[in-house]
Amino acid sequence: MPHEVIMPALGMAQDTGLIVSWFKSPGDAVKSGDALFEVETDKATMEVEAPADGYLTDVQADAGAEVPVGNVIALISDSAEDSANMTNAAPADAKSAPSAEPLAQETALPAGAEVIMPALGMVQDTGLIVAWHKSPGDAVASADILFEVETDKSTMEVEAGHDGFVAALLAEAGEEAPVGDVIAIISAGKPDAPVQRSIADMASQKAAARQPAQDGGAKIAPADTAPAKVATPKAAPAAKPRADGRILASPKVRRLALERGLDLNRLVEAGHPQPYHAADIEVLKSLPTVPAASEAAAQSRRLTADLPSDGFAAFAAWAADTAGLEDAPALLAGLAGGSLRRDHATIAVESFGQTRTFAVPAGPLSAITPADEGTTTDLTLRDLRLSQISSVALGAEDTPVLTLTRAGDGLSITLECASHHLTAREATSLLYEFAGRIEHPLRHLL
Amino acid sequence: MREITLSQAVNEALAEEMRRDETVFIIGEDVAEAGTPFKVLSGLVEEFGTGRVVDTPISEPGFMGIAVGAAMTGSRPVVDLMFGDFIYLIMDQLCNQAAKTHYMSGGKLNVPLVLRTNLGATRRSAAQHSQSLHALVAHIPGLKVALPSSAYEAKGLMKTAIRDDNPVVIFEDKLMYNDKAPVPEDEFLIPFGEANIKREGSDITLIGTSSMVQVCEAAADILAKEKIAAEVIDPRTVVPLDEAALLKSARKTSRVIVVDEGHQSFGITGEIASRINEKAFYHLDAPVLRMGAMDVPVPFSPALEDITVPTPEAVAENARKLMSGEMIHAA
Amino acid sequence: MPSKAKTNIEDYLRMYRQMVRIRTFEDNANQLYLSAKMPGLTHMYSGEEAVAVGICEALTKDDKITSTHRGHGHCVAKGAEFKEMFCELLGKEEGYCRGKGGSMHIADQSNGNLGANAIVGGSMGIATGAAFTSKLLGKEDVTVCFFGDGATAQGLMYEVMNMAALWNLPVIYACENNGYSEYTKTEEIAAGSITARAEAFGIEAHQVDGQDVLAVNELAQKLVARARKGEGPFFMELMTYRYHGHHVGDINREYYRSKEEEKDWKENRDPIIRFRGWLVEQGIATEDEIEAMNAEIKKDAEEAVAYAETARYPDQSEVDMHVFTDIKHALARDTA
Repeated sequence: MPHEVIMPALGMAQDTGLIVSWFKSPGDAVKSGDALFEVETDKATMEVEAPADGYLTDVQADAGAEVPVGNVIALISDSAEDSANMTNAAPADAKSAPSAEPLAQETALPAGAEVIMPALGMVQDTGLIVAWHKSPGDAVASADILFEVETDKSTMEVEAGHDGFVAALLAEAGEEAPVGDVIAIISAGKPDAPVQRSIADMASQKAAARQPAQDGGAKIAPADTAPAKVATPKAAPAAKPRADGRILASPKVRRLALERGLDLNRLVEAGHPQPYHAADIEVLKSLPTVPAASEAAAQSRRLTADLPSDGFAAFAAWAADTAGLEDAPALLAGLAGGSLRRDHATIAVESFGQTRTFAVPAGPLSAITPADEGTTTDLTLRDLRLSQISSVALGAEDTPVLTLTRAGDGLSITLECASHHLTAREATSLLYEFAGRIEHPLRHLL
Repeated sequence: MREITLSQAVNEALAEEMRRDETVFIIGEDVAEAGTPFKVLSGLVEEFGTGRVVDTPISEPGFMGIAVGAAMTGSRPVVDLMFGDFIYLIMDQLCNQAAKTHYMSGGKLNVPLVLRTNLGATRRSAAQHSQSLHALVAHIPGLKVALPSSAYEAKGLMKTAIRDDNPVVIFEDKLMYNDKAPVPEDEFLIPFGEANIKREGSDITLIGTSSMVQVCEAAADILAKEKIAAEVIDPRTVVPLDEAALLKSARKTSRVIVVDEGHQSFGITGEIASRINEKAFYHLDAPVLRMGAMDVPVPFSPALEDITVPTPEAVAENARKLMSGEMIHAA
Repeated sequence: MPSKAKTNIEDYLRMYRQMVRIRTFEDNANQLYLSAKMPGLTHMYSGEEAVAVGICEALTKDDKITSTHRGHGHCVAKGAEFKEMFCELLGKEEGYCRGKGGSMHIADQSNGNLGANAIVGGSMGIATGAAFTSKLLGKEDVTVCFFGDGATAQGLMYEVMNMAALWNLPVIYACENNGYSEYTKTEEIAAGSITARAEAFGIEAHQVDGQDVLAVNELAQKLVARARKGEGPFFMELMTYRYHGHHVGDINREYYRSKEEEKDWKENRDPIIRFRGWLVEQGIATEDEIEAMNAEIKKDAEEAVAYAETARYPDQSEVDMHVFTDIKHALARDTA
């Protein structure tokens, strides 16, 4: 009868152990007490001995693998062959109390880096696996496409993200996995027994084998969502709106909603079960104020403008000669500030690795002065004309950013900002104004 | 303060008013020597004589009619109707004559009489001696209706009734005659149309009449243990009704249960619930519930009789439902 | 003040006047109905004048009466004025009841008339009660309860007669037996003898010709005097006849009453014609004087009708007044 070799509990705080090396190979004869492998704890390395005489078989984890404490990582069997069917190894007693083998053999997962179902969009909380591009046991590189997932808009390819081998695929093509769930494991070394599971299997086993964390076990689905703040105990699942479109609500809650400018429909959309009472106003108030979809859409803004020629360079030269305005960055700041159309703006100009901040009042460029310490920058201008950088997509930063890059003989201007910096109209207006000033500076000054 | 029974309180009220005003007299069956079967009037005939404590034959319409005529011509009768159920017998004299005379005469004739009778089931007296019919008379314009809930109210309301120049019907709960309550020794009157807030609370309003006030108080005790603070109100008179007090409470708590021992349908609870609905609608977070006696004739068998009237547990259970926002009836 | 024996000319003339006033009033009221000027229905007393007058002339202003749906005669006989009566019939503010009672509930409290009653027998309790108060408070007033033969079918009558007899109340039950209970002959609705009903309670009962005002008055005076002394109650059955139908709309009534019968009573047994003849015969009044009296009463009545027709209705705000003595407007609720 096979004896199990488990990853021992190594210390108070540790719930995994790193296998440093094996002293025996699969199929080797071992005697009780022989050192089987070395495991690294947070303090030192430790040798783990064979529990019985026999042959080392069914090795689950290689050197370098991190195994949860309590997991079975090998067997000492009567013969040198691996077990044909690992489900015989131990009864999978769903209700068993925490024991040496919290999970039956068949539920033990290979060690390795986890691949999770990524978050695909604001409203989606599951992803449909269309197809795997790799099979269990395949070698895989980080940038390789591992699988395709279908969102509500299109199909998306997901990279493996790790170098190694596909040790386990935990969902089958055609299944839906919740966002955040582990759906594949990529091990450093080639797996001996790569695994293909389905979500259906995993769900039933997961339910059967809920264990305290220290026993390890399969990584479980994301934490339950926090319960609603409101005390009203409504056991019903998310409710659908009524067919007749009516909202059942007490006169009091209708009045309160009306007085506070709140919309009871949003409780309906959020699936909050009817009828609504005064206490539900608190639920209504705690709903997100902006619908998620539009929030996602309006995270950041990026606009570009291409100018056939760099009108500014000539202008800067002229200004230096004729008006004694030799500070080109200041002139840039002035043009940027003017594009904002405010009485006063604080503009930061980054060029040659240096950032200088200017106070730009409306009016002549000669009135521009260095900004005081501590003033908030309204707009940043990044002058990359003398670099080789041709395009930027840097994402929203603390302030709106206008980046100047070279584009052949001309210029490219990129405006990037967060949606809360500027409205769409303001952003459009800013770039339009600035591009115009850069193209024909004199025209705008006169 | 001394405590006396409801029976003693009524006796005192009558004696005091009869001493105060020699035109006050009592008329009814077995009121003199017997002091009525409930013994409420014991001792009065000894003090006031048979001229003013008048035994009658079993002629309810007759002595009610006599009382109406007597009241119209300068005396102040207190009619003793042995069981509230007998109101049906005297309806013409009470509702056609007494109730309407002042109005029909353009205000020239008064009928300052008191009809003293009772209500209340669970006494094993079966269907024709157990009814609570105050809704019938409350429905008739021209009659005032008082519902004392304890010895204290019984005395104060009776004295007010006797001094009132209108026909007043007072219903005492026949099961409460031996129940004691603190009653001041000094003279006091309880005005009509003034509700009594028996306890304050902010979660739910319980409006009770007559002995149902005690039921509401007991329900409030149960609810208090569950951290639900019930406000208990005794309207004391349903005509005139202290609507303002009831509405104020409804607006405060946003939930109301009205408890009365008349039948649930077409009665006192429906009237009060309806007024609260009309005038406190936008403050209601739950439907206003009515709890009355079951719409069945009162059964004789104790096993059946006892389930026909509202109990503290039943009131508390309904209160819990309203608090939880559970939909009482299908939408 | 006790009533004197009616040997006084003034008293006789007044009796005659009162009977003519009743008849004139009824004629006018009937006209108002027929010309669709009167709301609702009314019940004519014409033909029974001697009953009301004979009895009421034996009473003082403090003595009480209760009346029936056929109550104009009692009302006039107990001292009411035309103007206020016509106003009440038309629902006008100046009516005895501010227009709120109408014909069937007309009351004249200042003259001791506790009111007509729309419920047959409905005022028997009230009359007995009035007598009760009189005795309780040691007063001297007597109450007369007018009711018809039809009311002897009401249980209330027996209940109150029983108690009146038990307590010796100063009440006189006056049954105006006009031979018909609505549309049915009396003998079909009243078994046995009407006076025997009272006698069963030990109440002294008398039957009298209701068309003879002097006979009625003489009997009434005796019984009232005795009742005042505490010898009551008493019962009178007055045999009389109503010329009109049960109510003013009961015009085609041959199916229950023949025209011959009506003619006989009107021509041969009319109380006014009879008494007029007696007055003239006794030399108390001449025909001319009587004619003048009749004309004057007729003119009074017409003026009163004309007045009432143009008098104002009670203001709408009165609709909820007088429900209670101490609540001016019953429907004004706190709008809390």
